[in-house]
Amino acid sequence: MKKNCIAMLLAGGQGSRLYALTQNVAKPSVPFGGKYRIIDFPLSNCANSGIDTVGVLTQYRPLQLNSYIGNGQPWDLDVSDGGVYILPPYQSAGEKGSWFSGTANAIYQNIGFIENYDPENVLILSGDHIYKMDYSDMLREHIEKGAACTISVLQVSLEDATRFGIMNLGEDGYVREFEEKPAHPKSDLASMGIYIFNWKKLREYLIADEHDPDSDKDFGKNIIPKMLAAGEKLWPYRFSGYWRDVGTITSLWDANMDMLSPTLINLYDPDWPISARSPICPPHYTGRNAEIIHSIVTEGCEIDGHVENSVLSPSVQIGTGAKVYYSVLMPGAVIEPGAVVEYAIIGENTVVHSGAHVGAPPDGSDAWGVATCGPDIEIRSGATVGAGAMIYTGKEV
Amino acid sequence: MKDFHGIIFAYNTFPELRELVKLRTAASLPFCGRYRLIDFPLSSMRNAGIFDVGVIVQRDYQSLLDHIGSGKPWDMSRRDAGLRMLPPFGLPEYHKGNYTGTIEALNAVSTYIENITSKYIVLMLGNMYANIDLYEPMQQHVRSGAEITAICAAHCVDGCRLRYVTGSDGRVGQMLIEPRDESRGVASLEAYIINRDTLLSLMQSCREQNLYRFHKDALSRYLNEGGRMDVYMHEGYSSIIRTVDSYYRANMDMLDSVNRRELFPASRPVRTKFREEVSTYYGEHSSSRNCLVADNCIIEGNIENCIVFSGARIGKGAKLRNCIIMRRCTVGPWSELNYVIADKGVVFSAGTTLTGSDKLPTVVPKGTEI
Repeated sequence: MKKNCIAMLLAGGQGSRLYALTQNVAKPSVPFGGKYRIIDFPLSNCANSGIDTVGVLTQYRPLQLNSYIGNGQPWDLDVSDGGVYILPPYQSAGEKGSWFSGTANAIYQNIGFIENYDPENVLILSGDHIYKMDYSDMLREHIEKGAACTISVLQVSLEDATRFGIMNLGEDGYVREFEEKPAHPKSDLASMGIYIFNWKKLREYLIADEHDPDSDKDFGKNIIPKMLAAGEKLWPYRFSGYWRDVGTITSLWDANMDMLSPTLINLYDPDWPISARSPICPPHYTGRNAEIIHSIVTEGCEIDGHVENSVLSPSVQIGTGAKVYYSVLMPGAVIEPGAVVEYAIIGENTVVHSGAHVGAPPDGSDAWGVATCGPDIEIRSGATVGAGAMIYTGKEV
Repeated sequence: MKDFHGIIFAYNTFPELRELVKLRTAASLPFCGRYRLIDFPLSSMRNAGIFDVGVIVQRDYQSLLDHIGSGKPWDMSRRDAGLRMLPPFGLPEYHKGNYTGTIEALNAVSTYIENITSKYIVLMLGNMYANIDLYEPMQQHVRSGAEITAICAAHCVDGCRLRYVTGSDGRVGQMLIEPRDESRGVASLEAYIINRDTLLSLMQSCREQNLYRFHKDALSRYLNEGGRMDVYMHEGYSSIIRTVDSYYRANMDMLDSVNRRELFPASRPVRTKFREEVSTYYGEHSSSRNCLVADNCIIEGNIENCIVFSGARIGKGAKLRNCIIMRRCTVGPWSELNYVIADKGVVFSAGTTLTGSDKLPTVVPKGTEI
């Protein structure tokens, strides 16, 4: 089965900087933006870009992710000559088997999968970015420029550039130099961690890198610099839309708040739908005391309190007189009557009992932060969870 | 559960549903924000483990076909059998009108019925609004040895035209058709569990005598001849939708949490066509009181006592009360609507005022622009 381009989605990272939210699940399956989980964005982008074969590389706590992706039906990826495949690390004859030791190693271990489709090109994606992007446009440019690798780049401020992998271009517009988190950036073009490789080339470099004992087996640190050193053509594909890495609590909360602004990212555009697998719930119910201001609400919710500047996932309950400000409520969260939640992320099925107070508004100092409760926690009646607190599952509050 | 096979009657359009059934059958009426009526009998069957279901249709079933697709949302897209749409086949030339009755509809697809290998058949109306836990009456039917078990409603809000009077043995002694006196007997949901062989023999005797009706002809004869029919009582909310009034009322009744829990219990979810959409957005100056709102809406105005389907856009300053707003409707800014049922894709331009009444809600047909 010959394919022009297939996608490999790196979804194995632990997401350790999301702490309690990824205690039991992989980062790509963290709920996001009301209806979604993070992985819905790259999967939907693939489907919308006409890429119908996606390998999802899993490693850390994959159970929920596996059942979430299933046969790929919500993204229309349940096709007979492609589809979405979960690719965990595996053992070969005579080997002990090993975990994926880096992003490049994860692809290396799945060369066999990729060869099944004999693709011209392979798209490498991360499972922790929120954006809408037409990969077919990037692929067209990749082919036009005859590149061995095309790297999607975003213009950032020079100040922010110190946090990213930065591309320095030559006069011909191709990438000349790649610097990981430079202290003194020479360019403002940041790598988004999205690559299209010519598969034959990538295969060579993966095999060579695998035998390099000094390598970290990482795309950014090893494969890209080696290709540059060998004089391969690397093309920067300039992306200008909304793109966020949601690897930290603050960035996850920020990006959720962005979903309230269609000018930043329009999720209501029928031409580029982001799809999700969601339980079928009745429409959400707003009670006689409900007040909902500048917020998004999803099916299955029951609201009889005050909700402002917040993002509500399916089946959230807000009791009479409860108040929710600037918060992200994940599926099945319950805020009992009279409880207050502000500047917080409340995990799946966590219950904030009546009279409890989670989070606090910014006080102008640097000490403020998003209060985070992991999934399946009971915040008992009258308890207080301070600004920036992190409550893990299994802890009693 | 291959002992049971389902049949749903979805061929009816009722004149008293007016414009709502101009382009669809009653079974495909949009309901409660995201469903179609047929989702309720289909989900009741699915949740009881019945995966093989024939849906009898006759005409205007395009919208129903579109909704049901392969039957996948109900897990009825199976290797063998599964969900089948049954339009008439091999009807005699002289018969081009609507089915006169349920027996005629069954006889029009008799090949399908004859090929059913399950021992028992569950019959249900496509326009029945109830979430029935069929597991219990199925068990009861097998245990009791009755040839027919009639599913009756303790809480029929509207549309139950038949009542069964039972004897001390719990068996039906008498069938009352559209009785004035509603104190006698129990209300029938026109849902039955029937032995396959019994159904085939009822169909055959009616065919031989040119009789068409299930209740007036087949069942009343069966009872008169001493046939055994037991009753099972469904306790939850139920209604049979044949009029705009019953349609409106059943929707509005879902604003009551007790009714809602009876229709949408977590253990027996109502399944419907997959529609993966974005959450609903409420604007800075919106309000929403006592409403059911589906996904993918943008609400900038004020809504009260309303059912809002997905994809609706409610403009700034608009005031909607007691309305049913179907999929992809747009209500322009500063419009005022009261007791309005807006069918799919209706557009109200800015400042429109339209008022119906509780007894006679105004129906705006599909796709109208005002």
